[in-house]
Amino acid sequence: MKRIENRFNFFRILCLFVALLFALAPVYWMLTIALKTEVDQFAIPPPWFVFTPTLEHYYDAFVTRAFGQYLITSAIVAVTSTACALVIGTLAAYALARFELPWRLNQRLSLWILSTRMFPAIVTAVPLFLMMRDVRLLNTRASLIIVYTAFNLPFVVWMMRGFFADLPRDLEEAALVDGDSRMGAFVRVVLPLVAPGLAATAVFCLIVSWNEFLFALVLTQTDAAMTLPVGIAGRVTQYEIKWGVMSAAASVAIVPILVFALALQRYLVRGLSMGAVKG
Amino acid sequence: MPKSRRFFNAPAKRELLLPALLIAPAMAVLLSLSIYPLLYSVTISLQQETAAGINWTFGNFARLASDSFFWTAMAHTFVYAAAALTCEFLLGLALALLLNSQIRGRGLFRASLLVPMMLPTVVVGVVWRLMLNPDFGAINGTLARFGISTESLTWTASPRLAMLSVIAVDVWQWTPFVFLVLLAGLQAIPQEPYEAALIDGSSRWQTFRHVTLPLLKPAILIVLLLRTMDLLRVFDQIFILTEGGPGFATETISLYIYRTAFRFFDFGYAAAMSFVLLALTNVISVIYIRFLSHR
Repeated sequence: MKRIENRFNFFRILCLFVALLFALAPVYWMLTIALKTEVDQFAIPPPWFVFTPTLEHYYDAFVTRAFGQYLITSAIVAVTSTACALVIGTLAAYALARFELPWRLNQRLSLWILSTRMFPAIVTAVPLFLMMRDVRLLNTRASLIIVYTAFNLPFVVWMMRGFFADLPRDLEEAALVDGDSRMGAFVRVVLPLVAPGLAATAVFCLIVSWNEFLFALVLTQTDAAMTLPVGIAGRVTQYEIKWGVMSAAASVAIVPILVFALALQRYLVRGLSMGAVKG
Repeated sequence: MPKSRRFFNAPAKRELLLPALLIAPAMAVLLSLSIYPLLYSVTISLQQETAAGINWTFGNFARLASDSFFWTAMAHTFVYAAAALTCEFLLGLALALLLNSQIRGRGLFRASLLVPMMLPTVVVGVVWRLMLNPDFGAINGTLARFGISTESLTWTASPRLAMLSVIAVDVWQWTPFVFLVLLAGLQAIPQEPYEAALIDGSSRWQTFRHVTLPLLKPAILIVLLLRTMDLLRVFDQIFILTEGGPGFATETISLYIYRTAFRFFDFGYAAAMSFVLLALTNVISVIYIRFLSHR
């Protein structure tokens, strides 16, 4: 019996290692392409480990070409839209979690807000393009900030509603009894307590905005306004592809995501399932 | 009524103003940027530009019936979604069951598995264009080293293998997500039913079939719902990997709508098609939610 258990354990660990290899090897491969000279890039058989590293592609991408600018745009758009969505969404979430509204509006509004997030992006991309064209916001960072705020808002409301609901009411009541105003109790007592949840929600919004592609592709086509994903995609679909430059840019695009994802492990399941699974 | 409830309800009249003020900004944003665009889309889908001006017509919707490209794109979308969903679910479930016990380094393993799903989809596209490139890609290079002929394996450039390739990439990226959610579901299952099953002398399979699976059902339905919605609207990876090609081999409905709107500038027809996609995702999510509330 013991031997069977041991064999099963060995099999299990083997499976996990194979899964790990499958998950990470492709990303590693891209990182090597970013660091290889063109000779090594096209070598057959492909060198996985032994090659002379070079930073020329990074120089080419971020100094010679406009990828540095795309990077800045991506950061500005992600941070600003996240901040807007957090402020607007947290207030709404607090109201939905803590006040009894008439006509069962708590549930109805929450579900309606969630349903706006369920639209396939391409459905709203077409009219949003035309609307932005009408107000002359095409090819501006503002257009993306506006669209991403609306896109992240339902997510913030759902996540924060869950975090507020997890908090006992007694603390707020104590603050109110002590003479605090409603909003005073919210700012001084409730917000500090949900700070970890707020941070996790913010990181999710940052990741979503940083990664978003379709709206960015539709709304920004100039060097001054396009985000990093659009910039990378533009290089892929060109006739002659600069593989090193593309990989260098892509490897930079994943750095903030990896840092965030690791910081976020505890909340990952809850966030990815819109709060449906508490994980 | 518990004390806190009464406290939060009184005085009833004045308590409406504050929540209304708190919710108003969110409502304003969603009405203007989600609902208004949808209505705007309805109007453009019902319009056709002619020499005489703008006509109100159902022409865009009528065109759908005879547009074979539209139906082919629909079929591609379904093939893509069904194949990827099946693989991701089975692999994710297997991994979750394997890892639902104490193994050293589990945290590290979980963190590494997260990498594919957190990547920007554009980067996923780049990674796999590099992997699958027939000339210098790692896949063919490695196969060749083992003496396997790779001449016909042109992956995304081959009409036969392109669909398979884009499905495999989706499976690579999203299996970890299914795994994570199912693992969270598994860990929320209490120990008692397992002890009872052990006492009853159930086999491993019986325990899985009659204890684990029913208790895991909510998590399963949620993950399937979320994945189905994402798969039906897939755009980014395919756009980077194949742009819907070669020919039309991997064109899904979102790509076809994109092309119609932003390459051919036929916004009315694109809007009409997008409503078919919207209706489809709505119907499917309603079915899932029915199942979910019937547990």
